[in-house]
Amino acid sequence: MQNSNTSVAPRKVGRRGFIGGTAAALMVPFAITLGGRTAQAVVPGSGIVGAYVKIDSSNIVTVVLGSTEMGQGILTGLAQLVAEELNLNWDQVRAEHAPASTASPNPYGNPLFGAQLTGGSTSTRGWYAPLRMAAAIARETLIAAANKKFGGTWSLGQGGTLVNGGQTANFADVVKVAARMKPPTSATLATTTRFIGKRMNRLDIPAKVDGSAVFGIDVQVPGMKFGAVCHCPTIGGTVKTMPAGRSGVTLVNLGKAVGVIADDTWTAMQVARSITNSVIWTLPTDLDAVDSTALAANAKALTESTTVATFVAVDVGSPKIGAKQKSIDVTYELPFLAHATMEVMNCTASVTADSVEIWVPTQGQQFITGLASTLTGVPAANITVHTTFLGGGLGRKFETDYVAQAINMSKAAGVPVKLTWSREQDFGNDFYRPYAQIRVKAALNNKGKLSDLIYRNVSASINVQRGYSSSNNPEDTGALSGAVDLPYTIPSRRVEFIPLVPCDIPLGYWRSVGESYNTFAVECAIDEMATLAGADPLQFRKDMLSGPNGNTRAMGVLKAVEKLSNWSSPPGNGTARGVAFMSGFGSYIAMVAEVSKSSSGKLTIGKMFCAIDCGVAVNPGSIEAQIQGGITHGMSATLWGQMTFIKGKPQTQNFNTYPMLKLGQMPTIGIKIVNSDAAPGGVGETGVPCVAPSIANAWAKLTGNRQRSLPFYPGTRMGEM
Amino acid sequence: MPTYNLNINGQSYPVTVANGEMPLLWVLRDHLGMTGTKYGCGIEVCGACTVLVNGQPERSCDMSVQEASGRKIMTVEGLATDPQGKLAQAAWVEHQVPQCGYCQSGMLMSTVGAMKAGHRGGEIAGELGNVCVCGTYARIKDAIKTL
Repeated sequence: MQNSNTSVAPRKVGRRGFIGGTAAALMVPFAITLGGRTAQAVVPGSGIVGAYVKIDSSNIVTVVLGSTEMGQGILTGLAQLVAEELNLNWDQVRAEHAPASTASPNPYGNPLFGAQLTGGSTSTRGWYAPLRMAAAIARETLIAAANKKFGGTWSLGQGGTLVNGGQTANFADVVKVAARMKPPTSATLATTTRFIGKRMNRLDIPAKVDGSAVFGIDVQVPGMKFGAVCHCPTIGGTVKTMPAGRSGVTLVNLGKAVGVIADDTWTAMQVARSITNSVIWTLPTDLDAVDSTALAANAKALTESTTVATFVAVDVGSPKIGAKQKSIDVTYELPFLAHATMEVMNCTASVTADSVEIWVPTQGQQFITGLASTLTGVPAANITVHTTFLGGGLGRKFETDYVAQAINMSKAAGVPVKLTWSREQDFGNDFYRPYAQIRVKAALNNKGKLSDLIYRNVSASINVQRGYSSSNNPEDTGALSGAVDLPYTIPSRRVEFIPLVPCDIPLGYWRSVGESYNTFAVECAIDEMATLAGADPLQFRKDMLSGPNGNTRAMGVLKAVEKLSNWSSPPGNGTARGVAFMSGFGSYIAMVAEVSKSSSGKLTIGKMFCAIDCGVAVNPGSIEAQIQGGITHGMSATLWGQMTFIKGKPQTQNFNTYPMLKLGQMPTIGIKIVNSDAAPGGVGETGVPCVAPSIANAWAKLTGNRQRSLPFYPGTRMGEM
Repeated sequence: MPTYNLNINGQSYPVTVANGEMPLLWVLRDHLGMTGTKYGCGIEVCGACTVLVNGQPERSCDMSVQEASGRKIMTVEGLATDPQGKLAQAAWVEHQVPQCGYCQSGMLMSTVGAMKAGHRGGEIAGELGNVCVCGTYARIKDAIKTL
């Protein structure tokens, strides 16, 4: 089996010496200019200048990327862009994570927003044009270098070569000259399609079938000790007093947790478990703010309140529900959810008096150097952050709580520490997908069209909790995303947001963020209105997309999924279909679920169909994988996903009570990528939001029962259907 | 401290640990530096830690080192030199199965265990209780059809 085709720092350094990893090659740094931004980045601690493209002496081209690989195939997709511009051969292409950069502007910051973060389905969207331009500039600089070094008029060949009549040179022959040249400020993009739009094999897959891929949890550095944590069992509690360590075991006060350092992870986790009851904790005073039942009652009152201040994001046409109109007044309810990444939170830190080195599975490089500097007093220039592969991110690995803990533990112990959370700690100390109650009042006009819609989202607010918005002006684009910018024509519409406060359950970004709850409410409500109108729900949606302001891309995916699912033909006895649509993350997506009832009367999902228009489809194979994954993830949440809390205590500790879909429960999936030459849209988040509403809509069609509260089957154990 | 002799991927590894109850998972990962076998749940539910013991899939999070001692252990690092292992790895690459890849060591070990028990093609699916949060199941189904 071929070894890793993706070079990812750090290499494994085991007690038996080096295990796996690729042989170190001399990487000649090749700095190129990207638009008005500097593309030169000082690699912390190395004294060398890095950039986006490195070419080594054997003509291997390594693309250095600020985006994090967490399974979405981004290292491969972005490397394809560079391969296209440089006319490479795929077997000479490598990709690696960039170091966390502290330069300003950050050369590895996503060009959409500047920061070195991965999330919101922004990597391809942000990098598609700039990275192609960077690679095109690199190409022109290499050609100019060949002209300078050898004389004559050189041009680009294939496979990392340059040609001049019968002469051929490798990139490697001119890269040192190129590195000293002033690159042009722009270049013409390639018109070939050898890589863009092609199902290139992923660069990271060989290492992910032979055990050599290094995830954060796999990092090994010389002299390293192993760590675990014991958080207060009540969310928000802090350490008041803690027991002393014992021989071979060091305990560290981490504020909200006690860190345990030992000679192996198992011992550390055993000790962490055993001290839970001997630590004395200071508990939070408002336990109702960390209680899901109490929060639900507060939310219900807010959905009904006529006096509470609301943030109004959309207000057109003064919507009102006339007594004689056909109408609905319904409330959808969505639970807190855990991320449950397969790889638990972990981080390895090596803190000395004058340096910090960190190896971490992170989506949030931008935050880490500053955090480490604050915690240790070491200047940013002496702090190195390596990004490993992520065993799933899903939004959880934006956060830096586990990074801070590892830094503090290494600092206290004076040795490198690899901190690994137990699964129980991971479930109990997440930043949960916000709980939401969404009340929808809607009415049809006398032509049977949806004319008035009043949408009130009451949800625990990430922004309010983090102080990103003031409570008297809680403009929370995250909480309302998926409810504001609808392509449907609805003459009168109001969209309100009321933050659920106080809520002290930690909140975070969960795959598909606001759309994960708003799309459920919007698309279920539209289905309810179609039913009220006696209309076909897919045609009802299409009718709201036609007309002079019609959205052709939205219409395109609905028509594509209509055809793919054979919508116009009845699905057979005991089976029903439901549809849902979403535009978001720069893409358009529609799904159809085909469901039936099991012998015990339970929902069975037999088929899922999806049509997506995500603009230029850089790697259709990766896009299909993301949709398959989004459907799987969405189904687990729809059927079973729920975190509840009683007076601050999370009621789920492990996968046995937090079911995830298994192989035998998978439906058949059909996917159509709609041809599009629009700018690339996102796909990582995009596959999730339509899953729950398409299933709920199909179930309502089948049974007449409208499921407005998720999950369908709370309290299910893993493996039960 | 007791010493155990582990036979892993055809090689002998003496390990000295403080406690013979330590799960094989952590001995592999922390004491032997073989990190291909993953920690997922620690309660035998998710399957990320699956290894073969005498040819049968076992959750290494719940098998003590003393219990594993003297038996033939195969981990993901040994698949490349195993006939069924090689086939499974090739099918995984051919069908571009992994996304994040974290569960795939366990998924492959369960697959290879099923192959060694005589299961072929779609039958293997019935033996795969492993959890993949990325949702690579559709491609796993395609890959195992070829085995």
